[in-house]
Amino acid sequence: MSAVTPKGVLTTPIFNNNPIALQVLGICSALAVTTSMSVSLVMALAVISVTAFSNLFVSLIRHHIPSSIRIIVQMTIIASLVIVVDQVLKAYAYEMSKQLSVFVGLIITNCIVMGRAEGFAMQNSPGLSFLDGIGNGLGYGFILMTVGFVRELLGSGSVFGFTILPTVQDGGWYVPNGLLLLPPSAFFIIGLIIWALRSTHPEQVEANEFKMKENTQPKEAV
Amino acid sequence: MGIRQTLDNLEPHFHKGGKYEKWYPLYEAVDTIFYSPPSVTKTTAHVRDGIDLKRIMITVWLCTFPAMFFGMWNAGWLANSAIADGYASMDGWREAILMVLASGHDPDSLWANFVLGATYFLPIYLVTFIVGGFWEVLFAVKRGHEVNEGFFVTSVLYALVLPATIPLWQVALGITFGVVIGKEIFGGTGKNFLNPALTGRAFLYFAYPAQISGDAVWVAADGYTGATPLSIAFQEGMVELTSQYSWWDAFIGYLPGSVGEVSTLAIFIGAAVLLWTKIASWRIMLGCMIGMAGTSVLFNLVGSESNPMFAMPWYWHLVIGGFAFGMVFMATDPVSASMTNPGRLIFGILIGVMTVLIRVVNPAFPEGIMLAILFANLFAPLIDHFFVQANIKRRMRRVGAPAEETA
Amino acid sequence: MAQSNNSIKKILTVAFALCIVCSVIVSTAAVALRPKQQLNQELDRKTNILSVANLYEPGMDVESAFGEVTPRVVDMRSGEYTDEFDPETFDHFQAARDPAMGRTLSGDRDIAGLSRVENFATVYLVGDPEDPDQIILPIRGQGLWGLMRGFMSVEGDGNTIVGITYYEHSETPGLGAEVNNPRWQAQWEGKKIFSDEADLAPAIHLTKGGANDETEIDALSGATLTSNGVTNMLQFWLSPEGFGTYLARFRSGVDHEEVQEADVELEAEA
Repeated sequence: MSAVTPKGVLTTPIFNNNPIALQVLGICSALAVTTSMSVSLVMALAVISVTAFSNLFVSLIRHHIPSSIRIIVQMTIIASLVIVVDQVLKAYAYEMSKQLSVFVGLIITNCIVMGRAEGFAMQNSPGLSFLDGIGNGLGYGFILMTVGFVRELLGSGSVFGFTILPTVQDGGWYVPNGLLLLPPSAFFIIGLIIWALRSTHPEQVEANEFKMKENTQPKEAV
Repeated sequence: MGIRQTLDNLEPHFHKGGKYEKWYPLYEAVDTIFYSPPSVTKTTAHVRDGIDLKRIMITVWLCTFPAMFFGMWNAGWLANSAIADGYASMDGWREAILMVLASGHDPDSLWANFVLGATYFLPIYLVTFIVGGFWEVLFAVKRGHEVNEGFFVTSVLYALVLPATIPLWQVALGITFGVVIGKEIFGGTGKNFLNPALTGRAFLYFAYPAQISGDAVWVAADGYTGATPLSIAFQEGMVELTSQYSWWDAFIGYLPGSVGEVSTLAIFIGAAVLLWTKIASWRIMLGCMIGMAGTSVLFNLVGSESNPMFAMPWYWHLVIGGFAFGMVFMATDPVSASMTNPGRLIFGILIGVMTVLIRVVNPAFPEGIMLAILFANLFAPLIDHFFVQANIKRRMRRVGAPAEETA
Repeated sequence: MAQSNNSIKKILTVAFALCIVCSVIVSTAAVALRPKQQLNQELDRKTNILSVANLYEPGMDVESAFGEVTPRVVDMRSGEYTDEFDPETFDHFQAARDPAMGRTLSGDRDIAGLSRVENFATVYLVGDPEDPDQIILPIRGQGLWGLMRGFMSVEGDGNTIVGITYYEHSETPGLGAEVNNPRWQAQWEGKKIFSDEADLAPAIHLTKGGANDETEIDALSGATLTSNGVTNMLQFWLSPEGFGTYLARFRSGVDHEEVQEADVELEAEA
């Protein structure tokens, strides 16, 4: 990880150390909520706020957390935040929360949140931790929005609900790609994003786990 | 020896440091179309065998011909019959070609049927070849590997499992997905764990189910609709199916379906050659038959009041839908199937069982062979792993040491 | 610092304090936001009802528009209104499970795949409750992957359809889920439930290859089983087993009394 500077913690998780693309965390919700961009956006905002505030609170009390129960403490903080976010969405963005259904609640199990609380906030100051939470949330949101964009545009012919490609069902010319409406399609898109990211950032490619032995050296038959 | 000389003159440009270095795979591909490859085994170990990858691929390609030609006739025959029954024909350039070459929609004319079918199938094949070939060459150039003959087979198999009426842009999208995601991402021929032709079709299957899911027939006549044999059996039962088609109709291929899958007879002709030349594994085919027959007999015995597919006997499962084609040409793909001999049998059985299971029990998908093969592809390495481990253990017991690694 | 952090006393204190703080925050949020959430749910239900009646426009005042709508509980066996239950709070999904208020369906009678059905249901009347412009009926039934729940709106003649909508379903996106495509829904307007005024068995159904009759609707392309599910649930809910007896009140060609008698026989059979 690059130097712990406010700018660094905010920006590296977006491309260089993306929680989804490099660490491959938080995939499940990325599959489920990315059929449309507006839902992805709300989900991204929810995750950003939960990660940021859980990092902040964990960091604030990090000197008082007994190491034997630290995971439980982090979990309690995260769970409370998620419930609050869920309640707020239900009250102020009912349509969205209906579409997100259980996935807001499942932010609790999103490894990114837990991972940042344990991996970063426990060692760093509240301000930095808060920024780190926002940064990782942004990294998650970036992938979510990209996947959402592809899936909504090609799957339903629209972006944020505005029709771009009029579909056949609505009397237009575009035959929507049904695969992109199904959750597994996000796997392909995330895979392609990872491919693209590793082509532009070759340092992200992991070292080979093993190397094939060279073929036998040519030598004259005796 | 004009060609040899031209090629030899050109060759230095494509080698390292030459001005067309990047395009070596293309040069190599053209060269090996005309001549056998110049590379020979240089090490002490020699395999003397008249058959190489290219010859295998060409044999498979030729083996699809009976099914391909019958399929073209079938597509034309179905369309012409529907048109003779009063449906309007699809106008356009296909109509023009038909009128010039065969002068009318006559379902009794072998030639008219064949020409009309060809006007549907050949463009599909051509698009597959051009688009798929483009990706193949692009990756070959980018990655520096050679263009592999396997693509000949992939392209023809892919084209044959598509319905005749599929829009050509979907053909292009499907083969793109099949070649790029199904094969090249994993490093090209030999490293793919899924059958690329089926991967492409699966993409279309989920992306554009309205055109390809196999519950309505694909007949090239305007406004013609109807259910495929499988979906008739699923919704109305065996009695309705047998009243529309006799078993022999289905075996010979007088029924609607994807181009290559209609005639079980034509497919078996190809299968005979593949088995005789030992290109296809008889164990996989046998496994498929055992799995399919066993599961369908089981379903026959269990019986169901609400699901008429339970009553479909195994010999019907064999002749309708794509089972025969999948078993002969797709399941036996040497790269994505199991590599160990007992593993091949298990691999085949898994395909047979899954096919019948999907056909009978799943309410959404009338056809199951494609998903069954892809599913079994995923399991092939695992199956192999168990048999390899078992073999190692057996050797350990026998000689007290593992087989020495060949350096 | 680390050592003191791990003493039993410290662990208990931290755990206890954290629990108090978190539970206060969570319960405050839950309690403070509950009225707003309930309002949302209510609004959502009303919006669904208004939209099936073609009365909903985005941005309108749902509450005041809903003033025209009167909910009533109907006894589906007799087709009469009943005042036994409060229509505002009556939950017919619960009623289906209650042995006293529902009945078990089996075999051929259970075409919609419900296994249990209630005897009472809340209907929504638009306009004058005695002579409504529209009658909105709750319907549900099995689709391909699961239960589909929705509303159907019928004109005051008890036969002409205004619209249909599903507020809950799990059909395949792009195929079966097209039940909520406005273009598909639009073709329901003006269709007839019964092909003859004297008929009791509903004729309305989905058909492949183009609807060309006023009791036919275009099936959803590529979604045979969802289409069958929609047909079956309409056949069920609009027959005397469901709202058929009740609808007979409004229809000109059938005698309500006769239908009631026929329905009683039907019940006896079951």
